[in-house]
Amino acid sequence: MRVRTPRALKRSIWVFHLNTGSCNACDIEILDVLAPFMDAERFGVKLVASPRHADVALLTGPITRETLPKVVNALRAMPRPRLVLAIGACAVSGGIWHDSYSVIGGFPRLKKILEENGVVIDRVVYVPGCPARPEAIIYGLAVLVGLLKKKVRKEVKEAGER
Amino acid sequence: MVKPILKLITVAKEAGVVTRKYPYDSPLLTEEFRGKIEIDASICWGCGACVKACPSNALTIRESMDVRELVYFAGRCIFCGRCADVCPTGAIKVTKEFELATEELEDLEQVVIHRKVKCPICGKHFVPQPLGRYVCEKCAKGGVPTYMMVCPECRRKVGVKKMIRCKGG
Repeated sequence: MRVRTPRALKRSIWVFHLNTGSCNACDIEILDVLAPFMDAERFGVKLVASPRHADVALLTGPITRETLPKVVNALRAMPRPRLVLAIGACAVSGGIWHDSYSVIGGFPRLKKILEENGVVIDRVVYVPGCPARPEAIIYGLAVLVGLLKKKVRKEVKEAGER
Repeated sequence: MVKPILKLITVAKEAGVVTRKYPYDSPLLTEEFRGKIEIDASICWGCGACVKACPSNALTIRESMDVRELVYFAGRCIFCGRCADVCPTGAIKVTKEFELATEELEDLEQVVIHRKVKCPICGKHFVPQPLGRYVCEKCAKGGVPTYMMVCPECRRKVGVKKMIRCKGG
């Protein structure tokens, strides 16, 4: 089933790689996605050097305090619709650094800071994994663009009576 | 000029196509690949061994009055599989599920609700029912455990009273 996508994304998706203090594992997986083996250019995904050209920001890392102003600036420079793909456990929720003093701790907390600064994020897709597989990143991109539907759903179970 | 290109073509022909057609094709998963974990609620005791073993606090315990909730948040999970190693009942299994991309963080949560045993004396809830039942089975060995289902505080008080009575004759 097709989900309605933002108009700007009917053609090729240009991505900007935004490392916010990650350990480089997710970055290497992103390289894998763009390399011929997984070849994301099948879907028109192209890596660009400036956020001003980008449709999607591939955000990795737990957003350290040092990178925060630069991240805000980079995301502000992106044209609307501003889409973000938060890749890896760190970008999704802080990962193993979730309670560390030196990081903001994941994209959800960054989103609040961005809203305070007047930067609107139109759509976010979270891709968990430590690091996220290249396949998982492609799947996330497909969910972001609307080619595929998400699989996971919140599960609440009650412990069984014996 | 032409010769090197011809050479390239022959090399490329030998190598063939390596690109995987992933979303339309099966992913490249090895046997030892670890993905999201799955908690079997019918076997889980709610002992909390997995919570202590989890290095990234993806598994947490939420305590409330009469319910203990085991919460698994896949967004923080690093897929190390330690929880499956330490689980005494084998309720936690590591699956090969990795397609977890979603727009809402709520989707990544998995909650197992344990009702707690009620103390017959003070009415306080203190331990998950399956865990309490297991301890009773192991300790009583056929007999009826006297103060097993009584909360620790009440058990202490009752025990002291009993001792005093014994000494007093």
